[in-house]
Amino acid sequence: MSEAISIEGLTFTYRGGAPPALQNIWGQVEAGSFIGVMGHGGAGKSTLCSSLNGLVPGFFRGAYQGRVMVKGQEVAGHKVAEMSRIVGLVLQDFEAQIFSTNVELEMAFGPENQCLPCSEIDRRIRHYLAFLDLEKFRRREPATLSGGQKQRLAISSVLAMEPEILVMDEPTTDLDFKGRQEVLSVADNLRREGRTLLIVDHEPETMAKADRVWLMKGGQIVKGGLPGEILADVSTLKSCGIKVPPIPELFSAMGWPGAPFSAREAMALIRKHNLVRPRTLSLPESSRPGQRRPYLLQAEGLRYIYPSHGIEALRGVDLCMGEGEFVALLGQNGSGKTTLAKHFNGLLKPTSGQMLLQGRPTKEYSHGEMARLVGYVFQNPDHQIFSRTVLEEVGFGLKMLGEGPKRVEQLVSEALEVVGLEGYEEKIPFALSKGERQRVAVASVLALRPRVLVLDEPTTGLDYRHQRAMMEILKSLNERGHTIIIITHSMEVAEEYAGRTVVLKDGAVLLDGTTRAVFAAEDRLAEASLQASPLLQLSNYLGTKARTVGQMIEELQA
Amino acid sequence: MNIFLYLDQETWVHRLDPRTKMISTLILFTLSLCFNHPLYMGGVSLAILGIAISARVLRNFWRFRFILLLLFVFSTLMWPLFTKGSTPLWAWGSFQVSRESLLYGFAMGLRLATFVGTGLILLSTTRNEELTNGLIRMGIPYPVAFAFSTSLRLIPTFAGAGATILEAQASRGMDLESGGLFSRIGKFLPQAVPLFFYAIRHTNLLAMALESRGFSPQAKRTLYYEPCMRRIDYAVIIILLIVLAALVYVRLGIKLGAVLPARL
Repeated sequence: MSEAISIEGLTFTYRGGAPPALQNIWGQVEAGSFIGVMGHGGAGKSTLCSSLNGLVPGFFRGAYQGRVMVKGQEVAGHKVAEMSRIVGLVLQDFEAQIFSTNVELEMAFGPENQCLPCSEIDRRIRHYLAFLDLEKFRRREPATLSGGQKQRLAISSVLAMEPEILVMDEPTTDLDFKGRQEVLSVADNLRREGRTLLIVDHEPETMAKADRVWLMKGGQIVKGGLPGEILADVSTLKSCGIKVPPIPELFSAMGWPGAPFSAREAMALIRKHNLVRPRTLSLPESSRPGQRRPYLLQAEGLRYIYPSHGIEALRGVDLCMGEGEFVALLGQNGSGKTTLAKHFNGLLKPTSGQMLLQGRPTKEYSHGEMARLVGYVFQNPDHQIFSRTVLEEVGFGLKMLGEGPKRVEQLVSEALEVVGLEGYEEKIPFALSKGERQRVAVASVLALRPRVLVLDEPTTGLDYRHQRAMMEILKSLNERGHTIIIITHSMEVAEEYAGRTVVLKDGAVLLDGTTRAVFAAEDRLAEASLQASPLLQLSNYLGTKARTVGQMIEELQA
Repeated sequence: MNIFLYLDQETWVHRLDPRTKMISTLILFTLSLCFNHPLYMGGVSLAILGIAISARVLRNFWRFRFILLLLFVFSTLMWPLFTKGSTPLWAWGSFQVSRESLLYGFAMGLRLATFVGTGLILLSTTRNEELTNGLIRMGIPYPVAFAFSTSLRLIPTFAGAGATILEAQASRGMDLESGGLFSRIGKFLPQAVPLFFYAIRHTNLLAMALESRGFSPQAKRTLYYEPCMRRIDYAVIIILLIVLAALVYVRLGIKLGAVLPARL
């Protein structure tokens, strides 16, 4: 087989960035093979992707050493527009790469630049719409598509240029379970077509499909090998800050043979070797949540219709939350999670029904009273940061409420301590890393000491290490008595941290109960297009109460 | 949040060539300048409303009802104070209001609303890309046409981000709904900072996406929505030109349709 990509001693330093983003990278990719790339945030994965189609060094300037050959052509010697015919790059942020006013125009954009005749463009649009199962959306406005559909559109509009090599930078982050399955099935189809694939991803299930996996750390490829070898190498994965797939970890801790990744493989192995006898899961009925009175938050027949486009986002939600709960709101994109959460602090007012906070409708509270009771952290921390220093940023809400400078300083330093940023007062928020900015955003809400903290996707865009740090902060806040409500699409996060899980579907509550009970109801979850993580599927099969690997090992050994 | 104006319908106006629609819009603007008598001006407004109905874009007129009404009322009230007519009704110092100036103000209100309405018809029936392609085929250089359409495209994106930023501040206790005009502006200003960063980041990503899809501003490219002048396009332009000539004749030749003939 011929070589599709050959990276020879590539070192790249962004202009103005001190440590090199890539250091002495060597790698060969055979035509028609599938390479998976894993690594922590800032490991150089995106830079590596950009170096394949010439964005590095054509678009991002900096010091460039070594060379990258793609199909026998040196990337650095060509323009991005020329390389784009051979290497299709799907960028990480799929929202930003979609810019046309309907789906077919979005797909036509690449072929238009290749000067193909309209009849050929039309053929390609039809072919790739069918390939990605998007035919019925041909005339739709991209903004009205779901996340998974948008990502598939981004992929199909790159595929319409028919590149021999397809590079996808984290194509499944920000997607719910269904969207992720949609994108992964595309990868399968592309392999069958014999195209060369390079995919950056965090999920072991994606990596398990690859021919080879490259593990990156600090701008270097620290290890390359078969997916089985890499994913089973627990110590290297840990040192690279990557989540260790839980099922192999369980098998190795229990001393069981094999290192399966999926729940199904694990169950088959357990049956085959008769490793443990599955029991029946018994969950105590008395621990039903939502019974802690008095209620802090109470939604009664809550309906909400967006005035601008008349879409009914909430269709009669009844939900009670007591003081001190840790609740995860789950549901597909568009199920009404964010709309519901925005009612908790009165950002949205019910169209009918009511939202009570401490027994009083939210609309009767002033902004100041509300901010002290319910804090809301938005999904993208950059939407709320605007001050010159962290002190000003975190103290903004306090100043708004008329606190004196002494008191502000004291409360700010307390809030920063909680999120692990003590001494950051004089730093510039925009110069911090994404994980730190996310923590500044939490601190700025926390400084007001609200009783309830609502967080929209607190772990999105953070790598595994930062995700854990963020969730540990929320856990300790919950232990201090704050009520925590998170919106998330990460099953693992909900499973491990939330005591109670509420699943929304089409603007109504589908499931509400203790997290373990909700994830035991696999059929009901499937109705909401959700699926428990492989570990919880296994836990359901074995009838254990465990929600984490540690708990499971303990329970099985007891 | 949907702030796009385009309404995806299948009407004869939607099917017209974008060049026809741009030229027609200019002719309709000129038509609105022909008369300053409210009755005649009202005739022009009704005709344009008729076009809006047949293009099925009244939904956008409804969305813009407050702006249309505001322009109309403001203009109707302000113009009479600054124009002089021959039959005074009321005077106060150097201000005087006459019958003619009242009618003139009324006509100007109609004219402004008609201008906005005409623009709305164009944007509600023409895609961004069609406008760009039309401009290119009229000889505008591609980078200029593309910059124009991209900026149109980015306005809603940035407006959406702006709304999120304001919500984020409101949930931290900022009260945007009270206070005088200046204190409110003072509260809005800091919000420009995150929006500015968002805009830079977004445009940078967009540039990357464009280049990765093989776009280079100087190169020739195919237009998938190739504009195409058909018989109806020529007919529309010719009919509108005849109407324009006729109305200009009515105003200048027969000297009808003006309450204040010296004014436009």
